[in-house]
Amino acid sequence: MQYIPNTPEGTRDRLFGECQERRRVQSALTHLFRQRGYSEIITPEEEFYDLFTSTGAALPQEEMVKIIDRSGKICVLRPDCTTPIARVAATRLKDMVLPCRFYYNETVYRSSRAHRGQRSEIPQCGIELIGAKGKKADLEIIATACDALRACGLERFYIELGHADIFPAFARRLDLPDEAVETMRSLVEGKNFAALSDFLKDYADQPGILAIQRLAYLFGGVEVLDEAEALAGEMPAISHLRDIYDQLSQAGYGKYIRFDLGMVHHIDYYTGPIFRGYVEGAGDAVLSGGRYDQLCASFGRPAQATGFAINVDAVAQCLPQPEPVQVKEVIHYPGQLIGKALALADSKAPGTCQLSPCTRLESTLQLAKEKGIPTVLILSENGVEEVQSHE
Amino acid sequence: MSDRLRIALTKGRLQDKSVAMFERAGLDCAPIHNPGRRLIHSLPNYPLDAVLAKAPDVITYVEHGVCDLGIVGKDTILEHGGSFYEVLDLGFGACRFALAVPEGTDFYKSYKTRTIASKYPEVTKAFFKGKGMDVDIIKIEGSVELAPILGLADGIVDIVETGATLKANGLVPIETVAEVSARLIVNTASMKLYKSQIEDLIRRCEQEVRKAK
Repeated sequence: MQYIPNTPEGTRDRLFGECQERRRVQSALTHLFRQRGYSEIITPEEEFYDLFTSTGAALPQEEMVKIIDRSGKICVLRPDCTTPIARVAATRLKDMVLPCRFYYNETVYRSSRAHRGQRSEIPQCGIELIGAKGKKADLEIIATACDALRACGLERFYIELGHADIFPAFARRLDLPDEAVETMRSLVEGKNFAALSDFLKDYADQPGILAIQRLAYLFGGVEVLDEAEALAGEMPAISHLRDIYDQLSQAGYGKYIRFDLGMVHHIDYYTGPIFRGYVEGAGDAVLSGGRYDQLCASFGRPAQATGFAINVDAVAQCLPQPEPVQVKEVIHYPGQLIGKALALADSKAPGTCQLSPCTRLESTLQLAKEKGIPTVLILSENGVEEVQSHE
Repeated sequence: MSDRLRIALTKGRLQDKSVAMFERAGLDCAPIHNPGRRLIHSLPNYPLDAVLAKAPDVITYVEHGVCDLGIVGKDTILEHGGSFYEVLDLGFGACRFALAVPEGTDFYKSYKTRTIASKYPEVTKAFFKGKGMDVDIIKIEGSVELAPILGLADGIVDIVETGATLKANGLVPIETVAEVSARLIVNTASMKLYKSQIEDLIRRCEQEVRKAK
């Protein structure tokens, strides 16, 4: 059979600068996370399919990349990092005193639709704060989300806050069958203004209709919180967001904060404040997170938790490309001086100097010429002689 | 980053109607009328750049965020899906998806799995899934009406405007699958990052839609 040298759709080889772009973002993020007391967890690339369905908040089945293992069990390539970390925290680390702080720097896998230019391998870097409830934990996570994007070198971004309780609170004021609530949720989330008002025409006699219609429009600055309260009265979710906002603005994070009260996340295990990060230059959210108070309990250890994940490649794309490193020197040396040759290469700026594998000087000069390396350093017992390769 | 929005318009009939709507709203669309060799048309009196694309490409460009907005038929949205905000029903380009069968046949009578020919397999699939009914779907690229005539399919799901083509081929529409019209769609990140500019454009279009009613 003839070998076909292509990679599967949704995957790609990343070469040189592309690796550097990704690593630069990862190291900025992991440095910040370690600094703030988060410890790294590496969970398997492959997990049982059941792990991601037993929590009651599964991704659609068709979005997971599946494998059948030797015993015939269905496994998936990890579609999400939070669920495995919640599993570890609730089981292997069940005796660890809460709260625990974890970070991860992993790849998640999603089965993407054909020819849409979507990646099926998504490098994610994020944190989880498990066993901490309440405003201060939310505050820490959201402020860290801002700092994380700043640490990557971004300035023009928004962290947009929502709350998992807001839509249900608005929907509860209406008397609608469950399927209708689901339809409405997707219309509000999709800001499908036209279809939403058409859909609600059938229920026009109900008092809460106007409020839910406006909910889709409630995104932007802090003023949307006032409007939400004017529409639906005071509710704990809104005052919680307001408190978070007040404290964040006093700490200087206010300019990064926006709201979208109609926000609903793709993976539905969230229970409290939820948020997304948008950056100029990226066509979709680059950061996503929020509070998930029930997830650990589904693995047997109730623990309130919050966290976020950053799509590393999406962030990398918004940053200026790194300058490629040029090799400027090649060292020609006799074999017995390998130690000195390496020491000499190590003394140069990283990546700018390499050893020549050639035995004859002419070959080394030829090689330098072909590779466009300007200088050959000839190492001998007497020292180093410098020759220009183009002479 | 420029402060101009970029919109993708569906080429053809929807393009003319979109441009007409923009002009009624006071946007000077001369560059779109006289494109020359340019592919991106900058409107002189409004911060908007337009590109013209085939319907499914409009969705692709908006989804990836290389265009902030798009105007595309609901038929394409139903068939291709995708994640973006569908903010406004523009009203024009109205027609419907219908299930049509050869005149005189009773589509639902047989226990045999029915075969449907369509240019829109996803729309067809969703429609019959909603009925809990298994059907074989065959994708046809050209004149779908031919499939039942040749005996390939028991019925078709297609866009119906007047029904004249169906009638000429001995087919009758028996059920509406979905109503269709042009929609204004917005990239999710653009909506958040350029809220006020995008809202202004939506507002202008909304006014024209209301006037047209």
